[in-house]
Amino acid sequence: MRKLRENPLLLSAVIAIVALVASFWLLNHPRSTLPFLLTLGALLAALLQPIPRWLKVLIGGAILLLVIPAAGFKNSFLFELGIQTGIYAAMALGLNVVVGLAGLLDLGYAAFFAVGAYTWAIFGSPQANEFMPWKIFPLPGEYFYLFMLVAVVVAAITGVVIGSPALRLKGDYLAIVTLGLGEVVRVLANNLDQPINITNGPQGITPIQRPPIDWFIALLDRFGLHLSRAEAYPLFFYLLVLVIIGIVTLVNVRLDRSRFGRAWIAIREDETAARAMGIPLFPTKLIAFATGASFSGAMGALFAAKQLYVSPESFTLIQSIMILVMVILGGMGSIPGAILGAATVTILNVDLLKSASDYLNDLRNAGFVLDLGFFKYNFANLPNQLEPAKYERMVFGLIMILMMIYRPEGIIPERRHVLEMKKEEA
Amino acid sequence: MSEAPILEVERVTKTFGGLVAVNDVSVSIPRGMIFAVIGPNGAGKTTFFNLLTGIYKPDKGRILFDGEEITGRDPAWIAARGMARTFQNIRLFGSMTAVENVMVARHVHTKTSYADALLRTPRFQREEKKALERSLELLEYMQLGHRAHELAKNLPYGEQRRLEIARALALEPKLLLLDEPAAGMNPQETEDLQRRIVGIRDDLGVTILLIEHDMQLVMSISERIAVLDYGSKILEGTPEEVQNDPRVIEAYLGRGAAEGAS
Repeated sequence: MRKLRENPLLLSAVIAIVALVASFWLLNHPRSTLPFLLTLGALLAALLQPIPRWLKVLIGGAILLLVIPAAGFKNSFLFELGIQTGIYAAMALGLNVVVGLAGLLDLGYAAFFAVGAYTWAIFGSPQANEFMPWKIFPLPGEYFYLFMLVAVVVAAITGVVIGSPALRLKGDYLAIVTLGLGEVVRVLANNLDQPINITNGPQGITPIQRPPIDWFIALLDRFGLHLSRAEAYPLFFYLLVLVIIGIVTLVNVRLDRSRFGRAWIAIREDETAARAMGIPLFPTKLIAFATGASFSGAMGALFAAKQLYVSPESFTLIQSIMILVMVILGGMGSIPGAILGAATVTILNVDLLKSASDYLNDLRNAGFVLDLGFFKYNFANLPNQLEPAKYERMVFGLIMILMMIYRPEGIIPERRHVLEMKKEEA
Repeated sequence: MSEAPILEVERVTKTFGGLVAVNDVSVSIPRGMIFAVIGPNGAGKTTFFNLLTGIYKPDKGRILFDGEEITGRDPAWIAARGMARTFQNIRLFGSMTAVENVMVARHVHTKTSYADALLRTPRFQREEKKALERSLELLEYMQLGHRAHELAKNLPYGEQRRLEIARALALEPKLLLLDEPAAGMNPQETEDLQRRIVGIRDDLGVTILLIEHDMQLVMSISERIAVLDYGSKILEGTPEEVQNDPRVIEAYLGRGAAEGAS
């Protein structure tokens, strides 16, 4: 390993070859998990290891824009995985501002996701006719882009409204209050079907308009790719998510390297000292809170359009905790960490645990008998409760415990922390 | 001095439950002076600093800074008006680099909006560059230039103390409060610090208010000294006056020692 690190040429070659092999493997077996993971591993290595920038761009671009879409046409689940990962990555980046940079433990983050989702769901479906005097709804799909911006603004305002009382508290108290206020948003969504029907209550809202993609299909036609609407939508959302991740990352980096980012970290490190240096505590925290909220709101609107359906069930406490797990797993305050954390948890959640369940199911149905001599077990007797897909929460809990014990700074620690580690080794 | 004093403290009292930490203290500090507050441990010196900087609100009395009433205002507001401080137990932002620590204190002098930061406007570039340059200058001034890009928590103790001063100076203060700046320093470092404090006053025209236990340091650089004991000001005067006053010896060493000395 060490030899590899010291020789950039060799390192580049190894990563490029692995990426190439993994890509071909994935294209030939788009339904198996292993080649998919290897491809992602190659992508990750390419982005994180010290190899030339042009090679990073080449490998990253090829995998994200060619290999995964191509494999996705054979197995549309890959698009679904990519879109979900992207949505969660953007939210993890938003929460990273709040928890990672400013050190404010927010357990009600899914509330802003809900606000964004309902913003488009209500006006992008006939739902708004219920309480608006003009019967012009649903708004045409073109309005979706506008409503992503509206969702950003509405979520930011919600952030200010929730943050104004909550951010006067610290630490555990803040966590509890955000948890409570987050639940308030969900309960509101659940009950605002009376006296005026705004959210349609527990039934949720459907169908929600999607942005029109005739231009996109026509564009692909020009390149000789003839897709039906049903095939083109996953690709479109996948690409849209990639663009949004790019924007969100840029925003994150720019804030981090400005007086706002420095003020947030100062508050995280020592509130008293930060105040004594002229940083107004409450407004600075509120900006962090609203920034995080707005990221979540934008992704909510996208989520509503992708799913065609929203209901209060999608915005529970476990969602907030899942996003928090992503941030902590990746490394608090670390931008690549938040993205990696989101990818890991999403893939674990929607792919690996389900694959493991399917595998156990196959064994059960086949009546496979494990015989170790002293130990004999017939899988036909395996109880239904023992399905990995049902362990979701336990797996999160385990991840958190193990991370706290063995790597509290996360998989990819914040840059400033890394410098320090290197110093200690030297 | 003809100008109005930079800081006027009028009959300030602060109690914690039954304990009177600061009791009816009045002090007036002229511009450009090096003023020291001394007293035995637990005399209320740090509480006094916390009252001035707004961390605590006084129960009674008022505080005027640069002609403006600051009693009970927010610490950040007071800091932005030009009162900077260091802490007795060093409070740097450990996971930031030295230069970033100093840049944090440039916050109020950096005129970039949120939109500027997002769009990286020319104003953002200009202001950011200015903040960085000034911060590096201040590090250089405190002889920490070579440490600019190291994490604050990895610096040796004496350098951390100097970094705290550099950070405080980045506020461009009119009044600098130093809470035991020489604590834990060896004689060589203390002597260095002594010259530097005088330098800060002479070069930058900053008034200095100092808490210190090192009497050698206090007596050689202070122009005026106030003595606190059990929260009350028992004496104020020039170093010579304070040194020879039996009440001071009594406060530090007890009644017997004071009688023996006189």
